[in-house]
Amino acid sequence: MLLQSHDLTKSFGGLVAVNQLSLKVEKGTILGIIGPNGSGKTTFFNLITGMLPSDSGKVIFNGQEITKLRPHRIARLGVGRTFQIPAPFSKMTVLENVMVSAFLHTSSMKTAKKKAEEVLKKVGLDEKADFQVLNVTLEDRKRLELARALAIEPILLLLDEVMSGLTPVEVKSAINLIKQMHHQGLTIIVVEHVMDVILSLCDRVAVLDYGRKIAEDTPQKIVNHPEVIRAYLGERYRARG
Amino acid sequence: MPLKNAHTQPHTSAPSWRWALLGLALLIAFLLPWPLSPLWIRIATEVIMWAGLAQSWNIIGGYTGYLSFGHGAFFGVGAYMTGIVMLHLGWPFALGLLISGIAAALMAVIIGYPTLRLRGAYFAIATWAFGEMIRQIATILEITGGAFGMQLPSYLNLPFFYYLFLLVTGLTYLTTYLLLERSPFGYKLLAIREHEEAAEMVGVDTVTIKIKAFALSAFFPGVLGGIYAYWVTYIHPDSVLGAQLTDFMVVMAFLGGIGSLWGPFLGAVVVQLVNRVLWLVWGEGTFYLIIIGAAICTVVLFIPSGIIGLLQSRIFLPGTAWKEIRKKVKW
Repeated sequence: MLLQSHDLTKSFGGLVAVNQLSLKVEKGTILGIIGPNGSGKTTFFNLITGMLPSDSGKVIFNGQEITKLRPHRIARLGVGRTFQIPAPFSKMTVLENVMVSAFLHTSSMKTAKKKAEEVLKKVGLDEKADFQVLNVTLEDRKRLELARALAIEPILLLLDEVMSGLTPVEVKSAINLIKQMHHQGLTIIVVEHVMDVILSLCDRVAVLDYGRKIAEDTPQKIVNHPEVIRAYLGERYRARG
Repeated sequence: MPLKNAHTQPHTSAPSWRWALLGLALLIAFLLPWPLSPLWIRIATEVIMWAGLAQSWNIIGGYTGYLSFGHGAFFGVGAYMTGIVMLHLGWPFALGLLISGIAAALMAVIIGYPTLRLRGAYFAIATWAFGEMIRQIATILEITGGAFGMQLPSYLNLPFFYYLFLLVTGLTYLTTYLLLERSPFGYKLLAIREHEEAAEMVGVDTVTIKIKAFALSAFFPGVLGGIYAYWVTYIHPDSVLGAQLTDFMVVMAFLGGIGSLWGPFLGAVVVQLVNRVLWLVWGEGTFYLIIIGAAICTVVLFIPSGIIGLLQSRIFLPGTAWKEIRKKVKW
């Protein structure tokens, strides 16, 4: 088991954003997390990565408890994440953005640059390496998010709605990219609203509603799960399924 | 082609004329005391000291994006430390400078540890309060001479101080260049300034890096303060711990262009020269503050990247102006 959360809970004032959430991610698999807006998906990511402190519960990564670690320590253990709204280092070039990640494993400018160029090539951004981030499109910023996360050489990758706002063609190429990374041995958790993405990528899917896990199963079973249809998918998915 | 901003410009292109320009500037700086009268040597010395101070502020304020409004305190602590070391301990001046720099850096670590977790205005307020605190302490302590200040042994050698300031300010710029423009440390600082949470997510230990940057930005004012104390021989809380010290560092850095290597230098030259010329013309007064205030408003409103931003925008780069015109005008 690469990642486990036990009864993870986080509330903001009176609102319980994540409620006693227990999830497991097997090494080498892709877990999808779906659920309505505000169901706690991003908060769950923030708890795993240490960006938010949890109220109670535990997170165990690779056999080590990481619940109380600072974010950079968790990143160093091999957890990479992308932000739902791209959060680039705006006044730097695309290449420099990725170099910051590469400095996690080297303090040589040359090695970091080479590593960053490799990763940019992998995500198809190599031609825009010298662009200022301010001058690249949303799709490229999403790719940059991915590149930055990949350059820390993660074992586990958390993708927070990397597809939202992309055209169908762009979504297709992004799916291929994620599949490719998966084949190279990466374990991935995907938060996504686009159901086609979830269906074509995930080994298992967990469904959140009001911070609770209401179902977890294979994608095929999830789309026919009555509770999931009621809370999130709506009737049209039953018809299709 | 994407527009390069002020920061990345030197990374990608360092044409030989830049080095030639730098060499020429250094040569002029070395020869400067010969033709100048003592008054103008004094003014040149001040300009160079301020260039170092503005750059020190730029390390934390410009590159890291944390506005320190108590930076004058590090200068004052340096001045008093050198004074105490020379006067009360009888140790040599050079040792005093070293102790001054280290004391200022240590102090930055101590106040940075809790306050550098505070984003935005909180850090600014905390550092401002720290600056005030240090001034009050210097006013009541016996060892600092209280409100009367401190008289150091005098050493009347204008060129000596000119070259010493030149050396330390030069080191400030060299350090900034090597550590902030050309090393992982600088990249991490910029990442923190641009998006701190994202920097943390890619493994940057943001708190430690910020504390290091703050200590570095305090070390040089400490040393410069030490030299200043020996140079002017008489220091008191208002002269080395006044709020204006910080104000001027901020103003010079902003006017010249924050987050750039040469911005603070240009800002210091312009502000201090204007300041002194007005002083020569009108005598002691505060009129120059009005002019500087107006200049700052202009910069913030119209040229947020400062003088350096103006110089580096394509129009002012030699050669590119012609290309721009060619592009815009259809033949």
